[in-house]
Amino acid sequence: MSEISGLRPEEIAELAAVYALGGLDGEDRARFEALLDAGDAEAVEALRVHQETLAALATQSAHQPPAALRSALMARIAEDARAGARPPLPARARPRRALWPAVWAGALAAGIAAVVVGLWLSTSYDRRLQALAQEAAALRAELTRQQAVLAILRDPATQVVALAGQPVAPTARGRMLWHAQAGGILVTTGLPPVPAGKTYQLWAITGQRPPVPAGTFGVDTGGVASLQVPPLSGVERVDVFAVTLEPAGGLPAPSGDMYLAGKS
Amino acid sequence: MPPGSESAVALLNRIAQGDRDAFGRFYDRYAATAFGLIRRVVREDAAAEEVLQDVFWRIWQEAAQYDARRGTPEAWLIIRARTRAIDRLRAMRRRSKTFALPIDRSVERRPDVEAENPGIAAEQRGLVESALAQLPVPQRRVIELGFFEGLTQSEIAARLGEPLGTVKTRVRSGLERLREALKGQGNRES
Repeated sequence: MSEISGLRPEEIAELAAVYALGGLDGEDRARFEALLDAGDAEAVEALRVHQETLAALATQSAHQPPAALRSALMARIAEDARAGARPPLPARARPRRALWPAVWAGALAAGIAAVVVGLWLSTSYDRRLQALAQEAAALRAELTRQQAVLAILRDPATQVVALAGQPVAPTARGRMLWHAQAGGILVTTGLPPVPAGKTYQLWAITGQRPPVPAGTFGVDTGGVASLQVPPLSGVERVDVFAVTLEPAGGLPAPSGDMYLAGKS
Repeated sequence: MPPGSESAVALLNRIAQGDRDAFGRFYDRYAATAFGLIRRVVREDAAAEEVLQDVFWRIWQEAAQYDARRGTPEAWLIIRARTRAIDRLRAMRRRSKTFALPIDRSVERRPDVEAENPGIAAEQRGLVESALAQLPVPQRRVIELGFFEGLTQSEIAARLGEPLGTVKTRVRSGLERLREALKGQGNRES
């Protein structure tokens, strides 16, 4: 019997299991969270065990994310670190002792200064190397992108689809070059500016199947945009290309107004 | 405690101090596990990638909140990944219900068809893990509905037409059994 809640161990074990699963609601949730807040050993331990079981379950369906994701994240945190959003690395600092003999203090200070300068130099060297690596990666990506564009333009199998403005943007126009294996390129004119927190999103639609998201994009002041679309897995022939306005980041299924659409 | 988890705690401590190298290592060690889970929940690669980025970005910012007394770093990450993935899944379902693109209406039906038959849908996706498959179907179903579909205990009870108490008992016995099954697999592998 828990002293805090009056719950039996059986009940705590059940609440912990459902809580670990993320499914505890209502009064049960309030009660269990109160137990956790109070540091109830039984509740904390039961939850820990169940969470570790679920983590172990998750490792069974591990799936390697695309490498580009890692680079993007590392670049983002490098930006964050450079902007001074984080404290400097305290691992370099050494705890100081109060009673060092004065005669050694000067020598030590000089030594520490040398170490600090050395660390600073190696840190800035690291940064420079990282910047160069990022630059090289960006150039490689650009080269790959241009090669893909050329391949699409050269191939006679490339479809050209005209996209017409829909009632919300009657003067907008678009052209889609689409190649099932190589991907495609969308160019647009006359699209209205994108409101804050929104993005345009391209969709590839085949027959009665759900629209497949094919990328998000913004436009310049003339409503001009060009978007390169990678090949879409499982998508061969495309019947309709459409552009909708969606929340920033895009969605897996369209929800907003349609701005452009065209049948191939 | 599994091997390597001690240094995962050390990695999180270093991340909390702004150590990018530690963050890279933490990512390399756990991103695939988190991504597998997120993909299974949201079932769409582009959305899964966004959720994964979001989860690790928050790890970078919030590593100091990790409390070793509450579980391993891996469990901490997985629970966070699962929570973000379920948030995304719920948002996707809300939107697909209001979706009114005239060209194709089948998208409105698709999530519900899967939600009605999560076990079948999971099997069709070829994603039923061996440890989960070892559970009796009623236990497996409550775990799938809760962990992967994001249903609460009341929703699971309503979906299955079972009393709430039965659902809770099944979750607990299912998780305990799953723990044994995973241990058994671990022993065989080692």
